[in-house]
Amino acid sequence: MTTEKLLFNTGEVQDGVQHLCEAVLRDFKENPDYVLLGLHKQGVPLAERIADHLEEKTGTRPAVGKLDISMYRDDIGLRSGLPLIRETVIPFNMEDAKVILVDDVLSSGRAIRAALSAVTSFGRPACLRLAVLIDRGRPEFPIRADYVGFNAFDVDPAQKIVLKLTENDGEDAAVAIQWR
Amino acid sequence: MTAEFRWTRKDLLSLYDLSAEEITYILDTAEEFKKVSERNVKKVPALRGKTVVNFFVEPSTRTRVSFELAEQRLSADIVNMTASTSSLTKGESLLDTVRNIEALQVDLLVMRHRATGAQNFIAQNVSCGVINAGDGAHSHPTQALLDMFTIREKKGRIKGLKVAIIGDILHSRVARSNMWGLLKLGADVVFAGPATLVPREFEEAGVKVCHRLEEALEGADVVNLLRIQHERQSAGFFPSINEYSRFFGINQENIKRLKPDTLIMHPGPINRDVELDSSVADGPNSVILEQVTNGLAVRMAVLFLVAGCGGKR
Amino acid sequence: MNDILLKGGRVVDPGRNIDQVMDLGISNGVFADPADLHDPEVVDVSGLVVTPGFIDVHVHLRQPGNTAAETIATGTLAAAAGGFTSIVAMPNTNPPADTAGAIEYLRSQAAQKGCVRVLPCGCLTKGRQGKEMAGIGGLAAAGVAAFSDDGSCVQDHALMRHLAEYIQSFNLPILDHCENDCLAAGGVMHEGKWSVLLGMKGYCSAAEELMVARDVILSRMTGARFHIQHISSKECVRLLAEARRDRLPVTAEVTPHHIALTDECIKTYDTNFKMNPPLRSEEDRKALIEGLASGVITVIATDHAPHTNTAKMVEFDDAPFGVVGLETALPVSLTILYHGGVLTLPQLISKFTTGPAEVLGLKRYDLRNGNPADVTIFDPEKSFTVDPEKFRSKARNTPFAGRTYKGVIKRTYVGGKLVFQQ
Repeated sequence: MTTEKLLFNTGEVQDGVQHLCEAVLRDFKENPDYVLLGLHKQGVPLAERIADHLEEKTGTRPAVGKLDISMYRDDIGLRSGLPLIRETVIPFNMEDAKVILVDDVLSSGRAIRAALSAVTSFGRPACLRLAVLIDRGRPEFPIRADYVGFNAFDVDPAQKIVLKLTENDGEDAAVAIQWR
Repeated sequence: MTAEFRWTRKDLLSLYDLSAEEITYILDTAEEFKKVSERNVKKVPALRGKTVVNFFVEPSTRTRVSFELAEQRLSADIVNMTASTSSLTKGESLLDTVRNIEALQVDLLVMRHRATGAQNFIAQNVSCGVINAGDGAHSHPTQALLDMFTIREKKGRIKGLKVAIIGDILHSRVARSNMWGLLKLGADVVFAGPATLVPREFEEAGVKVCHRLEEALEGADVVNLLRIQHERQSAGFFPSINEYSRFFGINQENIKRLKPDTLIMHPGPINRDVELDSSVADGPNSVILEQVTNGLAVRMAVLFLVAGCGGKR
Repeated sequence: MNDILLKGGRVVDPGRNIDQVMDLGISNGVFADPADLHDPEVVDVSGLVVTPGFIDVHVHLRQPGNTAAETIATGTLAAAAGGFTSIVAMPNTNPPADTAGAIEYLRSQAAQKGCVRVLPCGCLTKGRQGKEMAGIGGLAAAGVAAFSDDGSCVQDHALMRHLAEYIQSFNLPILDHCENDCLAAGGVMHEGKWSVLLGMKGYCSAAEELMVARDVILSRMTGARFHIQHISSKECVRLLAEARRDRLPVTAEVTPHHIALTDECIKTYDTNFKMNPPLRSEEDRKALIEGLASGVITVIATDHAPHTNTAKMVEFDDAPFGVVGLETALPVSLTILYHGGVLTLPQLISKFTTGPAEVLGLKRYDLRNGNPADVTIFDPEKSFTVDPEKFRSKARNTPFAGRTYKGVIKRTYVGGKLVFQQ
């Protein structure tokens, strides 16, 4: 049984989401042809929340896609088991699209690297941006987020940050668990 | 499907070993892989850097091509071996042959063999993952999975469906694998054909056995025909191919007994106008080519899962 | 050789209906009155069972031809460790024992290297081909104890009829491996629920039963002594019961594996469950036990069939038939039949002693004074787990590895000589 330790409570997470939405909004006003692509699993509801916010503020709702990166990961065989591959839905043409990838936590950067491979196998986008709710600040790859909800640079690297969202888990919160 | 469920098997040998949850999990995974083959870029890097050996001790065309293509679409490195290109012809034992392959740091072995249980025997003695591509009359799990995938895709479910499998059940690994898989997912399975080829003992597994075709076709949601081999005639299982075709083949006459939406399936290769009338094989109820398409997706899913479970036991 | 006093054991001597705690004396290689011993070596065997030496009428020593799997030296050592003091060596060696010269070779090798009595068995037909009679009289003169084409079965009924008639001049039994080749062709396991579910090529029990019926009919017709080897199905037991009810000279043996295991074991694809006749259904297994209980089956024999690991570590279809059994026969039988409440101890012992002695025509096989001092001493309560690595046999192909049984052989004497102890 893994023990969980609360890192960020509901209020803190929701403030972060708000901050992330505002950050994206600033660029979206300039580029209303941006589309959002949420990474399974928590990036998908986050992308929806951002889209809701953009729609509320600008009256324009960006297209929102879902991306599963399992097939593109570089650590296959290193993990103890495989999670279910979730549905990838890309409701726009990737050729020349302006895409904002949305994920929950930027940790090693490997998931984003996999996402870059995944996206480019669907076409050649005009530009790619990255939005994350939580930035841990020590990526293993040269990958930085363009939009960040909040930083969590001080969390012990031995711990994994797990984000919970109401849509999937019944509450908004972030907890720490030991890496397996 | 619970979020906590994770695939943890290093081998896929038989559907007899799997739980209903695991079978559903493979089918769900295969749905995503099917979409990969519908894209412009039909390739993902999931097995990049992995080496897969396709070791077909018994000859195969369609299964081997399907596995090879699945491996290529997953970006694996591939080596193909047959009995004639292996040291088996020099009298080396199967286990020694496989251990030599394994010593080359191979990650996965996809294997077909004439002897029942050969892959189980090998899997017990090597640490690389083993995927059974057909052993004797025992098991052909990826064929059954692609059949079930096709049924689920077309019918939306498997539970409660009446699936009739017709023909040489005795010598069929396809029938046995379908039996275990379909029973676990709650289908009603009927085996039909002459008593020489459809032994009553199958009833002990929970299958309905019948020796008259009409009984099997009545109310069937799916009819899966098996290839009848000419050798069985000389071995005395039935008098002639003609007679077999007349009493146990599907033709324009007895297809009228079927419901309008009954699926007609066949694992191939078809003996046209023997077990299956050409017009039925090419007719609106036939999903035979879709089975082939789905086979690729199912094999990609199986390769991905087995390679991804962590390798060494 | 010193006199020996076996003191305080439970002496079970089925031939004389003795089952009591008493001392047993051995002098000059034969049993002797304990009162007449001179300065004997006293062996405390209290708490142990003392019986006439066990006879196994069905052993493959593999010499000559496959000494990688077993030799006369290792096979007889395994026999001694299993409590067997006499074993009948099957003639399916390479070359087969179908000539007086082959029997002579076996006898001389056994005298030099064997530690228990090796009773040669001659082939019924030349080269075990089932075509022409072997030199029956010459083999008898060379000292065979019986005739058998074990591993093969004479398919030609006319030839078998003539053998049955001809052998009567030499007063020796036919040990028949009953199998109809047409029905058995290509089979690797019992045809039934498990062969069907696993997709293995099965062969039906009728293949065995037809030939058992044939032998019973030929015995009735000719009066010949037939001993049916390793019977394995319910119908075989019924056929045998009928023959014995009619007082025909037909006997049969059953192996420990057939009363302990069923065809379900094969779902692991372990080739150590592959033997001929095959493990059959639970119904058959129960009928065999019932046959032992009713006295229809009078012999337990091992069909000890050693194979190298190399030979067995292959695909199930390609593996040779056969399992070793000398060193597990008593514990497996004792656990199932005695501890399982099927047979009394004297009844069980009779299946290893007087039963096989009757098959071979050995009179008065018991512990009376003056008889050769072949003795088996075992602890019926001590349990142990089968570890093939500890076998004296050269081979490891047992279906019982890792299983726990009750009954441990402590000492084996052949002609008053201690050939095994632990």
